[in-house]
Amino acid sequence: MSKDVLVIGGGIAGIQASLDLAEMGIHVYLVESLPSIGGKMAQLDKTFPTNDCAI
Amino acid sequence: MLDVGRHPDIDLMAYSEVEKVEGESGAFKATIRRKARYVEEDRCTGCGACKEKCPTVLPDAFNMGLGTRKAIYSWFAQGIPSTHTIDPAHCRQLNGKKCGICQKVCQANAVNFDQKDRIVELDVGAIVVASGYKVFDPSQIPEYQYRQIPNVITAIEFERLLSASGPTAGHLHRPSDLLVEAEMEALEKDVKKSEKALDKFEQKYGQASAAFYDAYQKGAYEGDEDRGKWAEKYVAHLALVEPLDALKREAEGFDVAKRLAFVQCVGSRDFRFYPFCSGYCCMHSIKEAIIANEHERETTSVIFGMDIRAVGKGFEEYKIRGGNQSGITYVRGRVAEITEGPQRNPVVTYEDTRERKVISRDFDLVILATACAPSEGVERLAEILGIERNRFGFFKTGTSQSLDTTRPGIFACGCAHGPMDIPESVAQASGAAARAAQIVTAASMRKAS
Amino acid sequence: MRGKKPQADELRIGVFICDCGSNIAGHLDCSSVTEYASTLPGVAYAKENLYTCSEAGIGEIQKGIKEQKLNRVVVASCSPRTHQPLFQNSCAAAELNPYLFEMVNIRDQCSWVHMEEREDATQKAKDLVRMGVSKAAFLEPQQDIEASLIPRVLVIGGGVAGLSAAGSLAAMGLDVVLVEKEVEAGGLLRRINRLAPHGEKASERVLEMLLSIKARPNATLYLGSRVEDVSGYIGNFEITIRPEGGEAVREKVGCIVVATGAVPLKPEGLYRYDGTRVVTQMELEERLAAGALEAQRVVMIQCVGARSPEREYCSRICCQTAVKNARFIKEQNPEAHVHILYRDMQMYGTENEQMLCDARGEGVRFDVFSPDQPPVVQEGKVEFYQPLTGEMVGIPCDLVVLSTPLVPRDDAQALSQLLRVPVDQNGFFLEAHAKLRPLDFATDGIFVCGSARYPANVQEAVSQGLGASSRIATILFKDKLITSAIVAEIDPETCVGCMGCMEMCPYEAITYLPEKNICEVNTVLCKGCGCCAATCPSQSATLRGFKPEQLMAQIRAV
Repeated sequence: MSKDVLVIGGGIAGIQASLDLAEMGIHVYLVESLPSIGGKMAQLDKTFPTNDCAI
Repeated sequence: MLDVGRHPDIDLMAYSEVEKVEGESGAFKATIRRKARYVEEDRCTGCGACKEKCPTVLPDAFNMGLGTRKAIYSWFAQGIPSTHTIDPAHCRQLNGKKCGICQKVCQANAVNFDQKDRIVELDVGAIVVASGYKVFDPSQIPEYQYRQIPNVITAIEFERLLSASGPTAGHLHRPSDLLVEAEMEALEKDVKKSEKALDKFEQKYGQASAAFYDAYQKGAYEGDEDRGKWAEKYVAHLALVEPLDALKREAEGFDVAKRLAFVQCVGSRDFRFYPFCSGYCCMHSIKEAIIANEHERETTSVIFGMDIRAVGKGFEEYKIRGGNQSGITYVRGRVAEITEGPQRNPVVTYEDTRERKVISRDFDLVILATACAPSEGVERLAEILGIERNRFGFFKTGTSQSLDTTRPGIFACGCAHGPMDIPESVAQASGAAARAAQIVTAASMRKAS
Repeated sequence: MRGKKPQADELRIGVFICDCGSNIAGHLDCSSVTEYASTLPGVAYAKENLYTCSEAGIGEIQKGIKEQKLNRVVVASCSPRTHQPLFQNSCAAAELNPYLFEMVNIRDQCSWVHMEEREDATQKAKDLVRMGVSKAAFLEPQQDIEASLIPRVLVIGGGVAGLSAAGSLAAMGLDVVLVEKEVEAGGLLRRINRLAPHGEKASERVLEMLLSIKARPNATLYLGSRVEDVSGYIGNFEITIRPEGGEAVREKVGCIVVATGAVPLKPEGLYRYDGTRVVTQMELEERLAAGALEAQRVVMIQCVGARSPEREYCSRICCQTAVKNARFIKEQNPEAHVHILYRDMQMYGTENEQMLCDARGEGVRFDVFSPDQPPVVQEGKVEFYQPLTGEMVGIPCDLVVLSTPLVPRDDAQALSQLLRVPVDQNGFFLEAHAKLRPLDFATDGIFVCGSARYPANVQEAVSQGLGASSRIATILFKDKLITSAIVAEIDPETCVGCMGCMEMCPYEAITYLPEKNICEVNTVLCKGCGCCAATCPSQSATLRGFKPEQLMAQIRAV
């Protein structure tokens, strides 16, 4: 039995899942195929409906 | 994003891929390929000195090819990890040419051309699949002529044009104008070179090239080999200057794009490609139109859609505000065709279903709201994980446990199991984390008892 | 005495100037900045590093603290946003209180913005370093704030979202207290017939969820009960629960989930609504659940009382509900005519759009109408303007079904006041951030899921309930709550109790003590934003690490 979790994908969903798990004290391996995490959201300028910056 | 990089309980494995998953819920064994970056992650500080000196210039995938990057690069400026990566397909050194400049300039000694892929095995109790989606490539739609007409672009390309950190620093220059400007720049370089060459002759013979050429054409200097070369150079020079002048005249009329058209359901709700609705694109277009109007108050936008699906908290209100304050008009109808008119303006042909008329209208720029498609390599990942996909190509999840895939212990969230927008993805990500935590905490509770 | 500058002879400030390879050193003279730093008052040691954040750079800081007996550290490098935690932790590891650390950003503010002006950039870096050193002299050691956590959760609302949250929390090993004001749990699902997209019976789903919770020894259900009083804060809430006509019960919990749902609008006065011939979608569900429908010709009208000037929002789930019910009617009676009049069919996603397609194939008719020319319900027919033909069309019918939006419950406002969490302009609970924190409130320890936040279908409510349980586990899986020492404090000697700070505080972290006529900061809730300090007319509210004397020292050094 292992108490660690594997998260596949470092976009906004993978980041949120990893942070939640890690904050619970569960060790996470976050695997992302691109050189950096951030996913599509990092490519967005602003987000609706509050026009906040994406990053 | 930053918190991920420094959280002691997160092992961040970027530039890596899952290759194999064995075992069962509570006790999976996952094989991960850590691809060689040719840069040591624990040494690189992300200062960027290497990429400044790298001689190889390539289109920048993060900026949708609208800007450039080097063969050694960071995915984007604020990327985590900030470790740079060498693109093995384009690096001169890795392709047997003499270079290695990055290695010389790196004061942290991080560049390592001998780095190899590493295989890592992980023991995990649960797996969360958050592999996202792929943006549909609209060049498959013949009637919209994406890539044929430069001023027809995708929503994410437009996003990069709008971004202050993007290739145009947030100014809405039209891609056709950018092409002309790039062409001018290249020509100007060549003109400067040829001017230098002509200069040498002019100094040598103490005569202006134009006057010399006049005489030369009239038959003077027959048999003078050196002056013959001069004449050749001058003809070649004219062949550069004339098109450059023409381009300059054209460029005088350039202005930022102010009349925008957004075409909805590009690849979505279309039986040739994806029958489903991508959910977020209507709002994405509205947002882009509002931001464009904020950049330049004269900007007007027309959003063409079958339905405008502003389905989320505060979305309908945002849509109405866009119409009232940001110059947006909503037209119900599917765009039939996009052609190119004078001044490289795209022309949109559609049926206005309210007016019962077929109309053609020209715009400065057309933005295609492309479908949210199952991600690249989704078949392979499904195979590796041993999970099923649904009839739309996304990972299949349950009805009563809406984040459970078909294999116990593996959960999906976000666009990996269907199109959705950011808050929904974030809420689901927490949800999938809870499902995963239930498994691993149950394991530790059993151990304790 | 607070904030007193230490004697000059006991101050030993270490300054570390980062080259960041050539990123900083390429555009300004780091050696000259280092030399200058060593001449500043209080500075005992100045060192230039190639990369301060590298192992070697961190080693230099720690060596400096040990060997040079440094009691303040200033790093002049990049952004505190990315690197301050690293440097602070490194100080702590070398046994220097991490709050005795100050950071100066000479990359973003000097080398990046003044790239072609080497001399000016160098001068500005010296100025910024001087300011940082001046402030560092006034820094005080601080201790992180610790609070206890009760590993028990209150879930308010026993609908599908609340059941999902409670089930998940219990499965993660946390104690759960579920309070539902009705005698039976299930919320709106109890009135619904079948679930999209596969037609499962809603009542069976509720039963299944309820049984799995009841099977958990760590879950307590209070049915037919209300939350009467809430006091305390994250980790230590005290709750009073009042069962209908019974004795009040007290519970102590660490976190709270708001899952109170929403109710369908009763469209009094709209489209000749009468509850018999003209009914709501919910009333149709109840009829369908009770048995076969007699009506042969049904017209459904969408956006009734929604997306209108008095109720601007779209209620998200009414289109899918209408299509689901239309298909069910056709399935029961293929001869039935069902016609849906809509403005935009909000069938987002994969399954919804598929359902719309299937409905069309099964003979459900759809027609669009414009809000400035809404359909008119008449005796035995509905008349509407059909834009495609440009004509008025009458559809004969024996039942009209109105799709009305979900609206906040009557008692949502009272609950929001009890919990001190906000609602939006529509009366739904307002989350901390529309994109990135959809299930959190700005107030720590309280979370929201399901239609209490904004209309959600069953799947969405289930995922959000799970999500809220995860957010809570991130807090309650820890032994204690540890938060930054950078919080506000109010001097009880000078505070006059004007409560100006309370209005400004976005985190409900300040309370008024009437017996002393002063305001007090709850350091567990305070996020150190400084709003109160900026507001306080008597300068009684100050922010640790950013006190007036610290900031003034920095400003005077400009």
